[in-house]
Amino acid sequence: MKDRVVISPTTRQEGHAELVMEVDDEGIVTKGMYLSITPVRGLEKMVLNKAPETAPVLCQRICGVCPIPHTLASTEAIDMALGIEIPETAKLLRRATLAAHNINSAAIHHFLVAPDITDDSNFAQAVDSVSEIRKTVQYVVDMIAGEGIHPSDIRVGGMARNITPFTKDRLIERMTALRPKLEAHIEFIKNLVLEAGLPKDLGVVNQPLMAVDPLYGTNDFDMDKFSEVLPEAWYDDPEIGTKACSVIPLWEGTNVETGPRARMEKYQGFKDKGVIAQHVARADEMLKNYDACMEALDAIDPAATVKADYNSNGTGELGFGIIEGPRGTNAHMAKVVDGKTAFYSAIVPTTWNIPTMGPATEGFHHKFGPHVIRAYDPCLSCATHVMVVDDEDKSILKNEMVRI
Amino acid sequence: MPLGTYKEALSARSTEQKILDVSQDGGIVSALLCYALDEGIIEGAVVAGTPDDDWRPIPTVVTSSDEVIAAAGTKYSMSPTLSVLKEATRQYGLEKVGVVATPCQVQGLRKAKAYPFTRFVADKVNLIIGIYCMENFPMASLDTFATAKLGFDSLTEATKMDIGKGKFWLTKDGEDKGLAIKDTHGYEQAGCNVCQDYVAEWADVSTGSVGSPDGWSTVLTRTEDGDSIFKAAVDAGVIETKPMDDVKPGLPLLEKLAKGKKDKNTAERERRAKMGVRIPTIY
Repeated sequence: MKDRVVISPTTRQEGHAELVMEVDDEGIVTKGMYLSITPVRGLEKMVLNKAPETAPVLCQRICGVCPIPHTLASTEAIDMALGIEIPETAKLLRRATLAAHNINSAAIHHFLVAPDITDDSNFAQAVDSVSEIRKTVQYVVDMIAGEGIHPSDIRVGGMARNITPFTKDRLIERMTALRPKLEAHIEFIKNLVLEAGLPKDLGVVNQPLMAVDPLYGTNDFDMDKFSEVLPEAWYDDPEIGTKACSVIPLWEGTNVETGPRARMEKYQGFKDKGVIAQHVARADEMLKNYDACMEALDAIDPAATVKADYNSNGTGELGFGIIEGPRGTNAHMAKVVDGKTAFYSAIVPTTWNIPTMGPATEGFHHKFGPHVIRAYDPCLSCATHVMVVDDEDKSILKNEMVRI
Repeated sequence: MPLGTYKEALSARSTEQKILDVSQDGGIVSALLCYALDEGIIEGAVVAGTPDDDWRPIPTVVTSSDEVIAAAGTKYSMSPTLSVLKEATRQYGLEKVGVVATPCQVQGLRKAKAYPFTRFVADKVNLIIGIYCMENFPMASLDTFATAKLGFDSLTEATKMDIGKGKFWLTKDGEDKGLAIKDTHGYEQAGCNVCQDYVAEWADVSTGSVGSPDGWSTVLTRTEDGDSIFKAAVDAGVIETKPMDDVKPGLPLLEKLAKGKKDKNTAERERRAKMGVRIPTIY
């Protein structure tokens, strides 16, 4: 007998999604399907035919949970589409900002999963520890990028302003004071995860890894290896295929895993797979980001220029901003023609993970399904991406998925 | 209460010659900022910086006494000082910020502190020094005074700018040329004509020349913080004071001008209201 367990919406994540699990008599998942039910975001269409500087301002609003990676991916895509080489110090400021933000976002995830891994005796301690970490790293983002959420000072061509020597010293001083707390936090969270009673092989998948850089990102993206399929073609169940709001991005024809564990395995020699490994990798990566942030802060020259002069006409070529965000690889791409954005597209981390997350629940009792989903730290607001328009006459080919 | 709420009114001046050399009157703004910076009460301040040849004030973040003194003196056009407040609390990394502001700017800043719209900006301001202000001129008005009224080729020819003895003064080649204040009416920014606040009623400390003799300033301490910082500066010997009763023309003149601004501008508010024009709320 086949039974179906549906969790809708899945909880303690950003946005709305549905987890559909087919289970056998013992409640073991035989088929898992995860789908976004968040309405389409549409921001890529809003930026068209506007000045290129508009894109980062609007596209950072894709989400308030990881606005920094969206701002950086968008800005770098436009930088490249305009043919701008930004000053070295601006690169360092951007690196420090992203590293600090990624620590913050991992800490937020620890807050979201705290009910899964803590009990009454240590829940408050976990929340306090998360708050303590966030306070310092968000301060770094605030000071360098203007705002911790939706930063105002990451600009096309570099950064709005450099920091003063006073600020540089203060940031290094506060981050130095954070290190022992961060190390203690990482150990604390890892221990909680290891003692949470999760099955060892829960959530193990063997999909290819999507990660383009150990910590920051790149402006390279091989469009020949990338393809997208509509959800109707991906999900076996036609009802789910129609209900799903996100397209399925594939790399070399297959779905991938992206995020901290993927990065740690690809670049840092991390070996383990599955839910526990994802939590451990995310915690361990906080320290990698800490070191990256300190390294960048230390190298910043407060006297240097941080914004390049540029011509906003555009090269007419596709520009890429591929940023390793807290939840994985965030790819924005843009084309600017005659000073206006002519094309814009974003493939964000959770979009990559959506087709991988459902099957990852298979082989274990359905009660573990939500644990598998949360291990990916999904962020659905970003991920929803369906707008299928006929290039010739602009008619909407697939409007049943647009639910605004 | 034409002077708003205040704890104490005093006539005061800086005891530092290097401040008095560059200050407009008693150098109270500079002396207070320098004292607060030196004592770590503030880490920096946003002020109207000294203009270049074009006389356009430059909103500036200062973090040392030298920078405070370099920015001393009245500016005769509007300085959008608050526009650099965010930069002061971000890339400058300041967590305790002083602000020198006109009454209208003080009102905006107090609102920003009262409402939760300016995350980690206005809450870092811990000393607001308000300066007395009857009205302010847009740059285009100053250009007009220089070229159309006083016969200059350009405002940049002026080497000094001042208001005193009932006239607006520009100096060129060592020669002072004056324009009667009554001839400047109509050239102030329109908002000044409905403003009710002459003495920066919402500041921590307000100061200006009116009421005190030449070279001295009249100070109104308004809040607990403002009062204690001012008194500490006096105790430290960087500011000397006299009771207002002992100086001429004294507080009655300040009250008269403050009331005069309220009366005149209330009439203007009523005139505009009758025309159906929206007018700002009085605080």
